[in-house]
Formats: sequence, structure tokens, C-alpha cells
Amino acid sequence: MRKIIDFLIKNVHSLTFIILILFSITQIINKNYYHNSKFNFFSNSLVNSINQSKQSFNEYFELKKINESLISENNFLRNKYSENIEIDSFVPINNYLFESAKVISNNIKFSKNFITINKGKKDGVEIDDGVVSKNGVIGIVNNTSEKFSTLISILNTDLIINAKIKRTNHFGSLNWDANDTQLLTLYDIPKNAKIKINDTIETGGMSSIFPEDIPLGIIENFILPTASNYYEISIRLFEDIGSIQNVYVVKNKFRNEINELEKNNE
Amino acid sequence: MSNINLLVFLRFMFIISSQILIFNNILVLGVSPNIYLIFLIIFPLNYNKSIMYFYMFFAGIVLDLFSNTYGIITFSLLISSLLRIYFLKFSFGHFDASKVRKTADYIRETSLYQKLTFLILMFFSHQLILYSVEAFSIEKFAWIVKKTLLSTIISIILSYIFILIFFNKNAR
Repeated sequence: MRKIIDFLIKNVHSLTFIILILFSITQIINKNYYHNSKFNFFSNSLVNSINQSKQSFNEYFELKKINESLISENNFLRNKYSENIEIDSFVPINNYLFESAKVISNNIKFSKNFITINKGKKDGVEIDDGVVSKNGVIGIVNNTSEKFSTLISILNTDLIINAKIKRTNHFGSLNWDANDTQLLTLYDIPKNAKIKINDTIETGGMSSIFPEDIPLGIIENFILPTASNYYEISIRLFEDIGSIQNVYVVKNKFRNEINELEKNNE
Repeated sequence: MSNINLLVFLRFMFIISSQILIFNNILVLGVSPNIYLIFLIIFPLNYNKSIMYFYMFFAGIVLDLFSNTYGIITFSLLISSLLRIYFLKFSFGHFDASKVRKTADYIRETSLYQKLTFLILMFFSHQLILYSVEAFSIEKFAWIVKKTLLSTIISIILSYIFILIFFNKNAR
């Protein structure tokens, strides 16, 4: 302790200088927009490249698991394909393009969580593209660089997703309340809807971001608050957001057209 | 001793306010002369170093607030105050800082070349740091050099006159 105090007294000038210069550097970075974005660019690209190499190292040990999940997905798609050929004579126009991507950094411990994936502007990813996995919705792209993109995770209290109950077709909005990473809450389902526990929840087609009928989860529990006409429904997600690796960026081919059309109405 | 504290404080007020009120509004060839560096150049040599850093820090903060460059002038003033002692040694030879008490002494007892070398070193390094941090990119290197040279020349001419008028005779 004595030595520490001696050291402090001896170097008081240098320490003052260092503290003041650090303060001025934080001022520069925080208050100047240009320096701030430049600094973020450097630190983000460094962090992203480290995350990516870490991820590729981890991936090697999980090859078997990934293989299994790909096989099951393959089977699922093959079944669906054959069903379509036999039953549906009418093939719907497919508005959506899918692009596979890998999650390189993921977070579920905050209330506003973000995910980074390894596809960016170079691969055609744009802000407001949706991101899904085979078991549900993952998030919406909010920022892109050349090679990477960040998404607002579905586990972010700011994100509200249009969802519907598969059996009854009632629409509502799905939001996270930051309590349990497996449970989300579905609002705005009117009380005349005859819902049951274990009903499946899917994405609704009301937004131009996600295609319709992507499964999201099942109803775990529901309450009807007093003096309210709408249910509050807890949904258990199919996807474990904490362990996702392979995702798909969904692009609506006609989104610009739709947005322009809607803008004309305003 | 309180006399010298008061003097430093008055210089601080005088030089910083004249920079803000007068010289910030002058544009010569696209640059405004940075007179405030005089405050560092004639700062008493045997003064407490930490207090000097604090003075430079507050001078920088005030100037930053008035020119909307948050932290940039503060940063370069602090770096310049660190470099000053090395430039003094370089320009005035073996200089015993503890013996000199008056700014007027080393203005009178040194030759014009020595004074100019010191001023050029101080101003050039300061402006170089200032503009490099402001531009913050290597692609603007030519712009940085051009601005640095221009403002160094203009600032030196003006501040040399400023020093001769105000700090030659009765300054400590």
C-alpha cells in the first residue's frame, strides 16, 4: 500500500497527463459523429474477424450435429416438395429469396440483443431484410457492412413481429418481455378467438419482411386480463435462439415496390 | 507566489478570450490563426506540471466548446504541453529551466533564430496534431499538410507580434 502511494506521489504529473488525455480522447470519440463512426468501423471489423475465426474453430467440433440437422431439414423439404406436387395444382408465386448465412456472434443476456451474421452488402443483404432459421424467426437486419450484418434479435424488446394462430387464423403482435429466452408474448388476439394450449403460432403475412406460415412456437399459457378484450398469450419458441448457427436471410423481391405503393397513400 | 498564480490566471483569461472573440473570426487564406498556443509557449517554466496540464486542459475545453470540435484542441494542446520541454532544450541548447523566472528573460537573452526555431517547432507540431486528429484519415494527407503549413506561418507571424507587444517587458 505504501509503495502504491509512493508510486502515485512520484508520478503524479504523468498520471494527471494520462487521465486528462484519456478524457479528451473519449470526448473526441463520443461527441464527434465522424470520429465515432470511424472508430466503430475499426473496432467492429476487428471484433468481427476474431468472432469469425472463433466460430469456425467451434464449428469443426459440431460438424456431426450440423450434419444431422441438415439431413432432417432435407427430409422435411423433400416431403413438403412431394406433397406440393401431389396436392397443389396451383403453385403460388414465390416472392422471397433465401440466402444462407452463419451466425458469428450472438447474445441473449440483455434486454435489447443483437446478432451478427457473416453476410453483408456484398452478398445483397439490405437493411430491413428478415432472418429466419428452419424453426422460426431470428430477427431483422438493422445494419450492414461489406461482409457482415447485424440483426435485431427476436429476443429484443424493441422488435414486434406480426404473428397468427395457425388453427383459427387470428392475427396478433409478438413481442419479448425480457424474462425468459424461450417465452414470448402474443398480444392483440381478440377474446372471441377459441384458442387452446399447444396451438401452433406462425408468422402472419401482414408485413413485407417475413413470408407467411413460418412456424414460431406453441401456446404455453394464456390469460384474459380483467376489463380487456384481448388475450395475453405466452408462446414457447421452437427455436433455441442461444444456440442457432445456420440461418437464412429472407429478401422480399417486391418490397421496394410495396413500400413505394404504400408511401403513395400517405 | 500568489502573484504568479494570479498572473497565469489573468493570462489565461486574456489569451483565451482574445482567441475566442477576435482570432476565431479572422480567416486568412482559409485558416484562422491559433493564437492560444502563446499561453503554452510563455507558461512559467518552473510552475507545477500537473497544474499546467489542468490549465491546458481547461483552455482546450473552452476553445473546443466555442469552435464545436469536441476534444480535438484539448488533445493537441495536452500533447504540445508534453513536447514543449523537449523543444525548449532543442532550440535553446542546455537550458536550465529552474533558474529562469521571467518570460522576458528568455525572449531578450536568446537570438532571433532560436526564438523562431522554438516557435516553428511548437506551432508546426501543434497544428499537425490538430489537423491530423480532425481529418482522421490518411487519404487527406495533402490537405493536412497544406492546412498545417498555412496556419503555422500565419499563426507564427501574428503571435510573434502578440508576444512582443504584450509579454516583452513586464511579464514574468
